[in-house]
Amino acid sequence: MIEIVINSDYCKGCSICVAFCPRKVLQTSNHINSKGFMLPEVVNLDACTQCMLCEIVCPDLAIAVTGK
Amino acid sequence: MLKHPMLKYIREEGPAGKRLPFILCPGCGAGQVLNYTLHAVDEIINQPGVKKEDFVFISGIGCSSRLTSHYLNFDSGWTLHGRALPVATGVLLANPKLKVIVFTGDGDAAAIGGNHFIHAFRRNINITVICVNNGLYGMTGGQVAPTTQPFTITPTTPYGNVEEAFDLCKLATVAGASYVSRWTTAHPFQTIKAIKKGIANKGASFIEILSQCPVHEHKTPVEMINALKGMTVSIDKSMNSNKIPVGEFHFAPRPEWTERYEAIIEKCNERIS
Repeated sequence: MIEIVINSDYCKGCSICVAFCPRKVLQTSNHINSKGFMLPEVVNLDACTQCMLCEIVCPDLAIAVTGK
Repeated sequence: MLKHPMLKYIREEGPAGKRLPFILCPGCGAGQVLNYTLHAVDEIINQPGVKKEDFVFISGIGCSSRLTSHYLNFDSGWTLHGRALPVATGVLLANPKLKVIVFTGDGDAAAIGGNHFIHAFRRNINITVICVNNGLYGMTGGQVAPTTQPFTITPTTPYGNVEEAFDLCKLATVAGASYVSRWTTAHPFQTIKAIKKGIANKGASFIEILSQCPVHEHKTPVEMINALKGMTVSIDKSMNSNKIPVGEFHFAPRPEWTERYEAIIEKCNERIS
């Protein structure tokens, strides 16, 4: 079972994970965290191949995917 | 809760409370480079015989340099502006078995620390210099830097920059570094590979990573990363191109400074006894 967790305290809503995801699993959402940043959300979890690209490119270490 | 795997190397809690999130602006390339560096360091620590205590991070002043001693759970030092390389030389002379990583920015390495930069590579000291090059002075307001591309508009060059930019990779190569490569924040796997090779190389290694400053260039981080992809070209295809070449520029291991120093100490001891 794949799980993608976005830490809403650390995320700054830069959308780099959304742009890098090759399978369009993530999307910018209207959810706003306590600092006023728009968080990404998981929209298509079935397409995730656990390539870990979102985890590697995140500048704030805010996203985590269950390992293979 | 599931956590980012690299948070095991970060001090999330400090004496004054929570340290994270990072002080950086949203979408800053320095955070990405720290993530790549931690991935490379993690792969090396997982090899047999390497401990977390073998690594020392040294940095100067600047956006990227704030990341090491403030957040990393490694031995680290936060030194004067531009003087990270002399401090790293001292650390290495005290214990040549350490793996010293200098995490620096372009203002720190090329502008105020330019002289230390060339002499550290001339001596071929066993350090790995990771330079986050965003082409401007981000911390003070986005002013023109020695690495700003010509015709770029910044607060101090409102009609465009008239100077040519420093090519740090060429400078490091001619100064005598034994491993030189350049990548961008848009090349995560290549950067991780280059940092691993730089740490494994016995000698001075220089890895320049072209980065984005979304706040001072008034663009979104994704636009800037796509622009970085567009303005760079692989070194194999860079012959008839005016784009910035990326890739491995130079790899020529040669005798290292601390080894030579220890050989002299042994010679002197023999003469005394």
